[in-house]
Amino acid sequence: MTTPPSGNPPLNRRQFLRDGARVAALTGLGALFGLAAPRVARGQKYVWQIDPTRCVYCGQCATACVLKPSAVKCVQSYPICGYCDLCTGYFVPEPNALNTGAENQVCPTAAIERRFIEDPYYEYNINEDLCIGCARCVEGCTRFGNGSFYLQVRHDRCVNCNECSIARVCAGDAFRRVPADQPYYLKTTAHA
Amino acid sequence: MKPSPPTSLSRRAFLRTGGGLAVAGWALAGNPAARAAAPGRNNPWAYDVSAYETTDPALLAYTERRRFKVPRAEARRLTRGPDGRWWLCAGHYLVALEADGRPGPEIALSAPARCAAVAPDGTLYVSLRTHVEVFDAQGTRRAVWEAPQPRAWLSGLLATDDAVYAADSGNRVVWRCDRSGRVLGRLGAKDPARGIPGLVLPSPHLDVELHPDGRLRVNNAGRHLVETYTPDGERVSAWGKPGMGIAAFCGCCNPIALAVLPDGRIVTAEKGLPRVKVYHPDGRLDGVVAGVEHFPENARASRGDTAGNTLNVSLDVASDPEGHLYILDPVAAEVRVMAPRART
Repeated sequence: MTTPPSGNPPLNRRQFLRDGARVAALTGLGALFGLAAPRVARGQKYVWQIDPTRCVYCGQCATACVLKPSAVKCVQSYPICGYCDLCTGYFVPEPNALNTGAENQVCPTAAIERRFIEDPYYEYNINEDLCIGCARCVEGCTRFGNGSFYLQVRHDRCVNCNECSIARVCAGDAFRRVPADQPYYLKTTAHA
Repeated sequence: MKPSPPTSLSRRAFLRTGGGLAVAGWALAGNPAARAAAPGRNNPWAYDVSAYETTDPALLAYTERRRFKVPRAEARRLTRGPDGRWWLCAGHYLVALEADGRPGPEIALSAPARCAAVAPDGTLYVSLRTHVEVFDAQGTRRAVWEAPQPRAWLSGLLATDDAVYAADSGNRVVWRCDRSGRVLGRLGAKDPARGIPGLVLPSPHLDVELHPDGRLRVNNAGRHLVETYTPDGERVSAWGKPGMGIAAFCGCCNPIALAVLPDGRIVTAEKGLPRVKVYHPDGRLDGVVAGVEHFPENARASRGDTAGNTLNVSLDVASDPEGHLYILDPVAAEVRVMAPRART
């Protein structure tokens, strides 16, 4: 079976690549203008932030940040916390006892403080000076509990790199540029 | 300049190849398995419960008979009517299902259906979180019952010949009402003088079931207990312990749903480690219906390996008079019908 000859001269590779490069350049230019125009129009500044619905607790926030310790910290959403005695964000999967012993704590730096409220409720607070952003507590809380622990970039520390070194390796593609006047995601819906 | 020789690759073939590569790349990026295998998952700080994600085969007491997809999204709870028809709470609908999964008539609701119960005379009760709507057997709405207290989150319903029990996670109590909706009493409220420690519910998963002994079984999830109450609200007994092991209830707050078999054994469903187990009435583990490895999609969503909305991952379980168990997995959007294995 043969293909009938078309009326157009054949397109050689050089012409095809040249045409393709032109189209790509124009498309890129358009995209650049499209992205830049609204920002310039509003004079808006942008900062990095983690979308908690996309975070997969990969641990990169603890190691990839240019700051040591990382500018990413665990935060606590008190309205959705269950104030559990057996908090899976605080305790390892099989704790010896429900107390503040280091061997029972899930946090590698003991950055979570447990405070008795009334039987059987406890409040959990994050000591940000100790938190390294490893997300181990976030995974425990989100998997078994309400997901009140989640990671956020703290802007009193973040140096707002043009290309965030954590965003480059984030396994969940959770890093976003958000307006500097609304720099945090406020988690208000329980996971469970 | 010497003209370049004509290439054998046509533009169409070039675009087709490029498009194919783009689609493959997109699929790989969106594939949870690929993401799970990404370098980030080799995480020294992972909250590792993998040791509890496989079940000892000797404990498996049920085998899957069949499974079917649910006809509506956002499925939450499953209940059985006296005529053998199943009712599924899914999104803003209460959907009737035949035993083989064929969808029947459905009732549209003004808010998401949280749970439902069918009385022996066929009357349907549906919770819309803050109130209960009552439908006759033909699907005509007959009444609306407002919750007795503010902050109600009605997460479980039970209808008997003479009473309706509404499990209110928001107020941590089970309301006992007559068939007209008048409150007759409440179960589970903290009362040290009567030996009732109170229900603890970090998440809205309070359930109530009627046992063949005439008493009620209520899951006290925050205390990892299954409690027995008389219809008058006396707490008779409780069993259960926290832990990741197969005999215990995992995480901060489990079990999340109950069912009762015709012989009186009690079935529990858990979240975090999605698994369904059967216990003797005194709390001894009888066997496992389905372990974590039987719910791969649900387990991935529980682990956080799937992007986006994983708010509703909680299993539900219900039984039929033959002792079969119907497990609703909202992540896989399907119901599994489990039959007991022959015991040696």
